[in-house]
Amino acid sequence: MRSLQQPRPEEPSTGPDVQRPWTSRSLGSAFQHQIFYTLIRIFGRQGAYFVLYFVVAWYVLLRPSVRKRCGFYLIRRFPSRNGFQRLWDAYRLSLELGKVLVDRAVFGILGPEKLRCSLTGQETLRALLAEGHGLILVTAHAGSWQLSMASLVNLRAPVSLLIHREPGDVDRHFFEHGEQQLPYRIIDPIGYLGGMLEMLQVLKTGEVLCIMGDRVMGGEGSALAVDFLGGPIRIPFSPYKLASATGAPIAVIFPHKSGPDSYALQVARIIRVPENLGRLAAGYQPYADEYAACLEEFVTEYPYQFFNYFDMWTPPPPRPDPGK
Amino acid sequence: MDTKTKLKKALADELNLPELTGEGYNDDAALFGEGLGLDSLDAVELVIVIQKHFGIEIKDMDEGKTAFTSINTLAAYIDKRLSA
Repeated sequence: MRSLQQPRPEEPSTGPDVQRPWTSRSLGSAFQHQIFYTLIRIFGRQGAYFVLYFVVAWYVLLRPSVRKRCGFYLIRRFPSRNGFQRLWDAYRLSLELGKVLVDRAVFGILGPEKLRCSLTGQETLRALLAEGHGLILVTAHAGSWQLSMASLVNLRAPVSLLIHREPGDVDRHFFEHGEQQLPYRIIDPIGYLGGMLEMLQVLKTGEVLCIMGDRVMGGEGSALAVDFLGGPIRIPFSPYKLASATGAPIAVIFPHKSGPDSYALQVARIIRVPENLGRLAAGYQPYADEYAACLEEFVTEYPYQFFNYFDMWTPPPPRPDPGK
Repeated sequence: MDTKTKLKKALADELNLPELTGEGYNDDAALFGEGLGLDSLDAVELVIVIQKHFGIEIKDMDEGKTAFTSINTLAAYIDKRLSA
């Protein structure tokens, strides 16, 4: 059930000319996942949670690599913590992720009625969609974004989600557990031209496009530096470029676990990007900064629901000289 | 001005690619990656330029995949759409 993103800089990227500092591949084996799926079928969510407390403790206490991965973010979020507090933070962060993954499996195995997913700001999003230019939702690896996305069916418009799945990942999406229909269309950023043409098409047909705004999926050329928790990180500017090209409004939305059996998706901010800002990344800086400010507000309020287990603050390696 | 010349001038101006209008540019060279060196985000610019200068809105992006191979394929696509 553990899915901490493992830095694997030594691995060749699956993408075109791209080396990412993160992977979404699960830390657990297929067998370990099956144990949790079985627990859910027999004992329900609480039974899986019970085992999860011990499993997370085992990983956090006995695997330094897990603490290290948690530490990149936690040191920035809680800079004044001492050793034991930091260990406790790592446990809480890992436990929250574990619960999210259990809930995701519960949703798929036991049915959507076992969890409540609410969407705050629904009328705002519908009004934005009614403008007729499509709608870009920029979110982050926070809460259970997959479950929360399911609540977007209330918008009554097709939703496309830009996500990449690591080859060999054994952690199932909730819709892969049974006969449930996929509530959104998936666009793979590793596909042709990073999925840009598909994303454009989604917006041109007035539909909803959802992009993770906190990780760079393409090359470094598609990223901008923004301040986040006291240091620069790099985030993609493709959402803002698409907005400029199509006139689509952007809604920054963040999902969080709001109760033992509930999730909430909230609109944090609406961003309007002027049309025809052009090719240069610098033109999109103010909008990327706005997103980063929203993200910082989110992690201030929900510090243990932000799941980026890699060093977001490490500068990218220099690009190889093509002449050599 | 024929479509290809107009297209190259438009792309050179809008995307700041003067090499497109220079002598010796291979019109069969790939637009993305090794050839002209455009990246995936530039695909958005291409769509906009074609709409702005030729009045063609590419809604079916499957067509775009073929058209965006090179200057020659893109010019042929534009001619086909204009004559339809």
